[in-house]
Amino acid sequence: MDAAEVEFLAEKELVTIIPNFSLDKIYLIGGDLGPFNPGLPVEVPLWLAINLKQRQKCRLLPPEWMDVEKLEKIRDHERKEETFTPMPSPYYMELTKLLLNHASDNIPKADEIRTLVKDMWDTRIAKLRVSADSFVRQQEAHAKLDNLTLMEINTSGTFLTQALNHMYKLRTNLQPSESTQSQDF
Amino acid sequence: MSEAYFRVESGALGPEENFLSLDDILMSHEKLPVRTETAMPRLGAFFLDRSGGAETDNAVPQGSKLELPLWLAKGLFDNKRRILSVELPKIYQEGWRTVFSADANVVDLHKMGPHFYGFGSQLLHFDSPENADISQSLLQTFIGRFRRIMDSSQNAYNEDTSALVARLDEMERGLFQTGQKGLNDFQCWEKGQASQITASNLVQNYKKRKFTDIED
Repeated sequence: MDAAEVEFLAEKELVTIIPNFSLDKIYLIGGDLGPFNPGLPVEVPLWLAINLKQRQKCRLLPPEWMDVEKLEKIRDHERKEETFTPMPSPYYMELTKLLLNHASDNIPKADEIRTLVKDMWDTRIAKLRVSADSFVRQQEAHAKLDNLTLMEINTSGTFLTQALNHMYKLRTNLQPSESTQSQDF
Repeated sequence: MSEAYFRVESGALGPEENFLSLDDILMSHEKLPVRTETAMPRLGAFFLDRSGGAETDNAVPQGSKLELPLWLAKGLFDNKRRILSVELPKIYQEGWRTVFSADANVVDLHKMGPHFYGFGSQLLHFDSPENADISQSLLQTFIGRFRRIMDSSQNAYNEDTSALVARLDEMERGLFQTGQKGLNDFQCWEKGQASQITASNLVQNYKKRKFTDIED
């Protein structure tokens, strides 16, 4: 998967906006998008929110986890634990990037939030590497990692699966191979 | 799916090489020391220092030591051992195996034959009594070096990586490249370049002529 494809999947997440136009309820294949009244908050998918913001038709409200104190708490919790802690959203990386790039004027302390989320990402990736290394070193058969987000899996996944493929082939060499057909002259 | 060209993977680590894989072709060109068990007529023209001379029909006498490429040695090798017997190259023997088990990270695998793992896996076809030890040593070497490859490939962004890959063999270099690609992909997305349209690298070298040129 590309990072862009993961971002596409993340754009289905719901965020709250405050439109400045009015529109009746629209019925889309994926679901209904509730009536838009100027000044009243409404929940829409992220793709629509970004599009409306770019056309200056709405104001974005940050998700309730996108707050400096809360993120600091989560970051410190993540640093203390050895396993992965649950993240505020399964798409926290993509939401942060999109919201902070397009709507940083609607989000207080945008730079600090960016730094905090990056710290969380770095901590989690480091944990992923440690766990991959111990997995390979002990030649485990399978591992279970809770609370990983798709973006993290996608970034390190290809390398890990390729390395494990190689390891598997080297391991099957340990079994004595059955004799292959050979021609007699 | 954004790749323009899918290469045929190397099968060398598994039971058999892939016929169409370029990596395997290069790998099986490496030389292997062998000993002939029977005289080979007329081959002495190629190995002048070993040939028996003109009266024996330029034959290579029995028991002489030659260095043949892997593909030739594999083709001539037979379980009843009538034609060749294979000696293991130094790096797959006891001495080097202890070096690998002590610390696999210090060895320059590129110098030891750039296809260390592939060649070693194909050597197992020659039914040497040390096969179990060789395959165990290959596996443990890989496991030992895995951490360093992972760390260096995932952390080197936009740098000159020649110092990092200098001591890796070809299979490890492929892994390194995969790691780099994952990293570059993520960074490129984060910078926002993923949504910009750029020219495909297949057509970047085509020189487009200006419309006025065509008109003349």
